[in-house]
Amino acid sequence: MKLTNTMMAIIAAAVLGFSVPAIANEGGAHLKHAEVDASDQAQIRRGLGVFTDVCMGCHSAKYIRYQSLMAYPEIGLTRAEVDELRGDRSLMSGMISDMAIEDAISSYGKAPPDLSLIVPGRRGGANYIYSLLTGFEHDPEGKVPDGNYNPIYPGGRIAMPDPLSWLEHDEADTAEIEKQAQDVAAFLTFIGDPHQNERRAIGCWVVGFLILLTLVLWRLKVEVWKDVKH
Amino acid sequence: MTDQANQSRRNFLYVAAGGLGAVAAGGMVVPFIGSMLPAADTLAASKTEFDLSTVEAGQLVTIQWQGKPVFVVHRTAELLKQVDGHDDMLKDKDSKAIDEVQEEWMDTPEKRKYRAIKPEYLIVVASCTHLGCIPLFKPSAGRKEWGDSVPENWPGGWHCPCHGSLYDVSARVINGSPAPHNLHVMPYQYKTDTTVVIG
Amino acid sequence: MIEKMMKTQLFAWVDKRTGAEAIIKSQLTEYPAPKNLNYMWNFGSLALLMLVLQIVTGIFLVMYYKPSAEATFGGFTVAFDSVERIMRDVNFGWLIRYMHAVGASMFFVVVYLHMGRGFYYGSFKAPRELLWIIGVVILLIMQGAAFFGYLLPWGQMSFWGATVITNLFGAIPVLGEYVSQVLVGGFAVGDPTLNRFFSLHYLFPLLLAAIVGGHVHALHVVHSNNPEGIDLHKPEEMIPFHPYYTIKDAFGVAFFLTIYAYIVFFNPQMGGYFIEVDNYVPANNLSTPAHIAPVWYLTPWYTILRSFESKLIGVLAMGGSLAILFLLPFLCRSAVRSARFRPVYKIMVIMFFIDVIVLGYCGHSAPTPTLKIVGQLSTAYYFLFFVALPFLPKFEKTKPVPEGI
Repeated sequence: MKLTNTMMAIIAAAVLGFSVPAIANEGGAHLKHAEVDASDQAQIRRGLGVFTDVCMGCHSAKYIRYQSLMAYPEIGLTRAEVDELRGDRSLMSGMISDMAIEDAISSYGKAPPDLSLIVPGRRGGANYIYSLLTGFEHDPEGKVPDGNYNPIYPGGRIAMPDPLSWLEHDEADTAEIEKQAQDVAAFLTFIGDPHQNERRAIGCWVVGFLILLTLVLWRLKVEVWKDVKH
Repeated sequence: MTDQANQSRRNFLYVAAGGLGAVAAGGMVVPFIGSMLPAADTLAASKTEFDLSTVEAGQLVTIQWQGKPVFVVHRTAELLKQVDGHDDMLKDKDSKAIDEVQEEWMDTPEKRKYRAIKPEYLIVVASCTHLGCIPLFKPSAGRKEWGDSVPENWPGGWHCPCHGSLYDVSARVINGSPAPHNLHVMPYQYKTDTTVVIG
Repeated sequence: MIEKMMKTQLFAWVDKRTGAEAIIKSQLTEYPAPKNLNYMWNFGSLALLMLVLQIVTGIFLVMYYKPSAEATFGGFTVAFDSVERIMRDVNFGWLIRYMHAVGASMFFVVVYLHMGRGFYYGSFKAPRELLWIIGVVILLIMQGAAFFGYLLPWGQMSFWGATVITNLFGAIPVLGEYVSQVLVGGFAVGDPTLNRFFSLHYLFPLLLAAIVGGHVHALHVVHSNNPEGIDLHKPEEMIPFHPYYTIKDAFGVAFFLTIYAYIVFFNPQMGGYFIEVDNYVPANNLSTPAHIAPVWYLTPWYTILRSFESKLIGVLAMGGSLAILFLLPFLCRSAVRSARFRPVYKIMVIMFFIDVIVLGYCGHSAPTPTLKIVGQLSTAYYFLFFVALPFLPKFEKTKPVPEGI
């Protein structure tokens, strides 16, 4: 029993120690907390609107088919709404930007990353997306042109030009832009793992069942081991 | 506590653990076997749109639906006439042994005979109901064009090269064929006057 | 239940043709196990459970996974797309994939604890040397299988992890370049690498299954050690494996599965330790991620590699740190097995456990001068532990060992 305790103490210390660096984001800058709920249909739909109006100018989300916008209950668009969004693209097509990747490279210097997995694929996840979109600043040293300076982005120099016009916004619009940034972060969180709500729902049942099974087997073990004289 | 009470508690725990264990094992089967069913993208891609105006009169076109071949025949007035007059040769002239999907619109004897929403366009799954080969289209009546691959009183239709099953111009199976059923009619609907959505 | 089954006619029929009754009796219902085993003895059956789970989930994943580095739209590849198809479109694909990915880490958790048990209670000592050696072979094959498997999603971490590790072999004098070409099948990690890693990732678990059979067989010849580390002779010290340890193991399995399910359903990435953030970014052979490190279960050995300036010495040290595990039974000369009665060894072995965790931490973090020194000191202790073992009996005063339990 002694070793078990020692082991547990070592493991607990290790887990605590290890979890600290996992929180830091890529740039090391402090991230703002995003109010994001990947099961909130209203927020995800607003985020979808921001995504199609703004992000899809350059970015794609190739793993999200137009058909999935109807199929995922968290989005749940009607056929008519999807038809309006997709234009003449096939229902089975991913959400692909109209801008060709080569054009994006010649305009901005690099290919815009696909956004299907941007939340799981960035340290800080939704907080990073939200902080980045509302993180554009004037370069204090004046080296990086306005619209390309963003201290949240690793290295500070980002190719993406301030998509929500954060840099020059009126004070009155702050809340609105922050809301848009959080909404799109919610949408991106959802599409990063579209089965996450289902997963958590099933998980409650599975873990609950296993706790019950563990308790029964524990009682059975105690019962059977009464035969063993120590 | 008596030994007897002990024993019964132990038995109860054994049964409870065994029962829960069986539930757990059964629960594991669901996702694993479930994963072998068609995936969401496969299911979503299970509808095919087709423009019927591309099929010329008297022509047969084979298209794909859910990875299976489908016959689309543009039947002329003459071919439509060939549907009549051989009811005694058919295993199932009214397509009684058919799926419930067909019953939605095959509500008149007329439609049961032509087996199509618009009689000019017959759309059927191109797999012989015997063992799944693709039958050959032999539309003209009699042996003139087809030799002895078809019977003497051939009303026109399909001949399956694998095991010799015969179907008439409405894809109804003819007596003496190894195939048990008429060629299947899959669910489809007209989206416009000339475009059908299959599936 | 087994007793009832063994009375049926069907069982009699099978028994006549296989000798099943004798096997069940000698391996289960009459297999003698010490009655004082603590819960540290549960990890063997848990490791077996994880092996089975990994094989089963793997077989189902292969039904949809496509090992091809062919480029697809948006900088992705066929392999990456097929993993995302499993995650998004295949029914319960997300569950099976997360079970497999989390399972890899949990397999190592269980096996490392299983080994720690062996270290602490001296389970590797005579007559169990070969049992231990087979166990080390299992560990090496597991590490290989995990390394091959990590390439398959073809994310950034997959690609650069494979690049770093295959380049290690370039350090071998004369043959180095050829060895890495044999591994990679080209001049850099690419499509041929993916295909051969996939092939080996499928092969290694089958090898494991066979060798685990050998491990269990070896165990059943020499029998289990126990927390006191003493040889047991009296019949009242032993109990039959079934039902006592089958039920205790079943309880352990259920407890473990609860934790495993919690991670799979609620925290499958485990903060980037089980599935790394960078592996959600498709592999790009023109851009290395800012910080690359192997998955946590390989990081202790990665630190040992990084602790040396010379690449060749680093590779040799890393190989040596694994190879020295084979020698453990022969380095440890004490007549007493369990650390319970070895005060110096007890401190040394607990420090060794902490040392390995520190090594793992250093290997996972971005290299800084401080961490480098910490890593080097930890590496030194790692080897010092093994080197000191033969001399320990000269000055260690062991406590009196009990006659029985």
